[in-house]
Amino acid sequence: MDKAKSGRVLQTAADSSQPLLLTPTEDLKGFLGLHLGRLTLLLITCTSVLAVFLIFLFIAIEAFPFLTKVSLIEFLTSTGWYPESYEKPEFGALALIAGSIYVTIGALVFAVPVGILAAVFLSDIVSFGIRDFVKPVIEILAAVPSVAYGFFAVLVLAPWLQNRFGFATGTNALNASLVLSVMALPTIISVAEDSISAVGRELREGSYSLGATRMETVLRVVIPAAHSGIIAAVVLGMMRAIGETMVVWMASGNASQIPHPWWDLSQSVRTMTATIAGDMGETAKGSDHYRALFAVGLLLLVMTFLLNMVSEYLLARAKKRLGKQ
Amino acid sequence: MKIAVRNVFDKVFTGLTRASIVLLVLVLAVVLGPILYRGSSAVVFRGTVEFRRMQFAVFGHGDEQQIQSEVQQARAVRERVYEIVDEFKKGIDASALTERARKIHRDFGQELRYRQTPHEQYAELRSLSRDIRDRLEAAFEASDKAQVDESIKYVMQYRQDERLRDTIAAEYFQMAGDFQRAAARVDLAKRAEYAEQLKDVEDILFCADDRPGLLGPRPGELQPALVMNQYGATRWDQAKALLDRFLWEEKWVEQEKGKPLVKVKVERAKIFEGTELEPLFAYVRDNVREMLRPRWTFYWRYFFDDSASGHYFGGVGPEIIGTLLLTLLSMLFVIPLGVVSAAYLVECASENMVVRIIRMCINTLAGVPSIVFGLFGMAFFVLFLIPLFDGPSKPCILAGSMTLAVLTLPVMIRSSEEAIRTVPQEYKEGSLALGASRFRTFVAVTLPAALPGILTGVILSLSRVAGETAPILFTAGVALGPVPDSVLDTTRTLSYGSWDIAVGNRISALVPHKQYGMVVTLVLLVLCLNGLAIVLRSRVFRKLKGQ
Amino acid sequence: MKRTICCSLAIVLLLIGSGLAEAAEKTLHVEGSTTVGPIADAFAEAFKKMYPDVTITVNKSGSGTGAAALVDSRCDIATMSRAMKEKEYKDAVGKGVFPFGHVVAMDGVCVIVHPSNPVSELTSAQVQDIYLGKVTNWKQLGGPDMKIIPVSRDTASGTYDTFDHFVMKQQKMAGHVEYVSTNPQAFARVKTTQGAIAYVGFGFVRRGVKAVNLDGVVPTRDTILSGQYPVSRPLFMYTNGYPPLGSIVQKFVSFHLTEKGQALVEEAGFVPVTRY
Repeated sequence: MDKAKSGRVLQTAADSSQPLLLTPTEDLKGFLGLHLGRLTLLLITCTSVLAVFLIFLFIAIEAFPFLTKVSLIEFLTSTGWYPESYEKPEFGALALIAGSIYVTIGALVFAVPVGILAAVFLSDIVSFGIRDFVKPVIEILAAVPSVAYGFFAVLVLAPWLQNRFGFATGTNALNASLVLSVMALPTIISVAEDSISAVGRELREGSYSLGATRMETVLRVVIPAAHSGIIAAVVLGMMRAIGETMVVWMASGNASQIPHPWWDLSQSVRTMTATIAGDMGETAKGSDHYRALFAVGLLLLVMTFLLNMVSEYLLARAKKRLGKQ
Repeated sequence: MKIAVRNVFDKVFTGLTRASIVLLVLVLAVVLGPILYRGSSAVVFRGTVEFRRMQFAVFGHGDEQQIQSEVQQARAVRERVYEIVDEFKKGIDASALTERARKIHRDFGQELRYRQTPHEQYAELRSLSRDIRDRLEAAFEASDKAQVDESIKYVMQYRQDERLRDTIAAEYFQMAGDFQRAAARVDLAKRAEYAEQLKDVEDILFCADDRPGLLGPRPGELQPALVMNQYGATRWDQAKALLDRFLWEEKWVEQEKGKPLVKVKVERAKIFEGTELEPLFAYVRDNVREMLRPRWTFYWRYFFDDSASGHYFGGVGPEIIGTLLLTLLSMLFVIPLGVVSAAYLVECASENMVVRIIRMCINTLAGVPSIVFGLFGMAFFVLFLIPLFDGPSKPCILAGSMTLAVLTLPVMIRSSEEAIRTVPQEYKEGSLALGASRFRTFVAVTLPAALPGILTGVILSLSRVAGETAPILFTAGVALGPVPDSVLDTTRTLSYGSWDIAVGNRISALVPHKQYGMVVTLVLLVLCLNGLAIVLRSRVFRKLKGQ
Repeated sequence: MKRTICCSLAIVLLLIGSGLAEAAEKTLHVEGSTTVGPIADAFAEAFKKMYPDVTITVNKSGSGTGAAALVDSRCDIATMSRAMKEKEYKDAVGKGVFPFGHVVAMDGVCVIVHPSNPVSELTSAQVQDIYLGKVTNWKQLGGPDMKIIPVSRDTASGTYDTFDHFVMKQQKMAGHVEYVSTNPQAFARVKTTQGAIAYVGFGFVRRGVKAVNLDGVVPTRDTILSGQYPVSRPLFMYTNGYPPLGSIVQKFVSFHLTEKGQALVEEAGFVPVTRY
């Protein structure tokens, strides 16, 4: 019989003369251990659910008196945002919603192609040595604080846009989109690259052995195989763009208007996050303006949640389609 | 499609991917380049004698003897500047001269009473003194040289009067003589313009109401209240900018009608042409190095010193401590939470409704704006949770780090999940086959294998947490305050500090190196922490690969 | 690995423990406006020298947040660039706090343009028209052919309140008006944009922008204090009732009445209420 390091005597299977059955206590212990363990893990994981729920609750409580006072239709469809006006305050959030959409979609339009191409470059095209060198460089981009991007947007990018393209104002939707895309890039690239690298060699080798060029392999085999990770990356990037406060506050100009020809990105827009951040510090706590800001926050949360549901649905559909193929 | 076409597409695609990385590096250079350059000038720059004087007086660094001797040497060269300015002022500063004349009159009266002169003589001398004083005042105010000469001549006729000779009244004649000499060289009609220009020049040279000048306030004069105005130009680049403004005046003139004005530089020496002040400009320009004694300084104490006078001087020591405490504490909260959640999602969860809800909540959490986190953090952690455990209901580092942990949870969970998922099934199956329980398999086999990916998540989270301002605005940060003693105190941080300077402070335009210095310090700090994590990651990776 | 975790946990616990065991020392917490912030900073630095055993912390998160903190008794002094609003007073009285406002300085609101803009005189009616969107090009005011970019402060700030009261006369600004949140941001916008017009506090009129004369009056310390330049507002420090004489709070809120306090207020770029 072997002596284990702890000094206890181990019984090997060949030595025991009884069949390998668990005693009732051992069985119960194992059962409880497994299920209690899973329950604890579930509870810990639900902290994020708890957090979202609490945030929702907190915002809804503060926003509720406002929502009962003002008509929801006016809130969602009017463009006049004059919350502090003496005679007739207006709380129309349409311009804010439009601003957030402009800036987010603009950011994604720049960030997603560049991000995925860069991820492909890092995982498929370049050698491991260079990859180990470039990955930290991208993580450096993530290390720059949002305040620095804000400076850059106002002091460097805005005058350049004004001088080069003759825009009347340099703090506009284009400026905010460009800077937000740079901020979302590290997240998109890191997560996408991790998932593209994780696609097994066999898929790639199979495709190359069938005579496909690298582009075809990447576009038709690797990316679809890594689709969940890539969609996750894009969603995380989009969330970063929607939720970013400091940069849009400085870079987008904050004019509460919908740009007049709708494609004119050189006009100043105002996003929901900038409205909340910009006005929150100065408003009187408990006033209509304060509650209106929380209503905008609630709207933002609801939009984010809906976007997530849509992306989950798309993900499920893509999985089904790929599963069928 | 023909092979040639497919190859062309392939090459184009490869080129595009390369271009995207080049674009990325370019963007990094464009965004970070100016910031790094200007920020590094907060630590490596040419400091003047004013800087060394300030360091000694405010922080106590440096060798007193050496600094004193340097200051004396600089003063010796600056004396001439003070002389020239004083001489010029004698000629044009009417109010000071009038004030002085009045004082002489009062003192003369006192002296007569002291000497107990008899009444009639007293009255006569006093009226004579008054007469002289009035004539002098008329001369000081006159803008016509002939008038000045006439008044001075009238005054000077009493010069030899023995009643006035050994008294204070003799100063009248000295003043008159000085003024006449000065007035001979000054165009009296331009006196008002000279006075205004002189004020500008003095502001730039010495000290304006609300900003410091080239040489600092004159020794012996009233010191300004704010510490930042009590010293001259502490950096050589500051000094050069001030020198430029001193030598050249900027004017905006109309060159074409209907177009914006154009900036034009006018030499100040030309404005004072022919007066006594003219040599001042050449003198300052030629001797500014001796007056300021610039020397390359490596201000490594920048990372340890406290800031003085609202960030104008000093370093970012307390801010670094605050950022480190907040970041590390929040990592302590978020790493276990994130890894455990990811473990559950990968290992135990099946694709049912509960799990889908959890995933949607995690993604929603990622989209909540940081300002909402700040408000939530204040309402929940500061006002509710910490008092529940008998803590004080005020902002503190603990509340701030918990808020930041919730902020960065989605990134951590997502990265850990990806990392755990990519661990090959074979590892897990092998361990299970050897009889290990599922828990043991996870802890001993899966987790170490997923460590590199988890560390990626840690790196991303660290960067985000260190740079956030809005969540700590309401929960842990202050703009001004002492170094924290415990986690139940508030603290200054690098992110809050740079936002504060940029957004709230007037002096931000004067100290770009301080703003960028803070940002660069933050970036360097995050890079150091990242560097540690990256080194750890590559070590673990190599161990896994069996090297 | 395990040892590092244990060590760091031990350090954290020590830190928490040391915090709870600390004796209470004199503290002064100031919270509120970013405009009045520099004054509070300057006073705090001076107090550090005069009363070294008092810990002063200053936070600048906005007038509204400062008022809320005073109402919740989370701070000793709330700095505000506007008077407390009706809601804030009601909340305060409901919680047993009676806000008392001390005026520590006056601040003028000046209209600024880029220095290359030849326009240097404007009437308040013209400025109102610009912000209402009725005038959109500088050539309509005698300037060059450039589009006007009006920049305003955010609507809850005290600066906006003053501007709204005196110039806009409570009318709503046009939709294309850009908003910034702080004075330095407005300054930066005008400095880098040739066609911009904005309004900032008096202390922010420096090289790089030009202050226009409003209705023929030049904004200077004297004209603001004498009332000749009407667009000005007081800056407040609110306390809970009048603080007890001799306490550190009382000294802080009356510091502006001393000579040194006045010098600090002037050097911070505001108009002092005293005249030494």
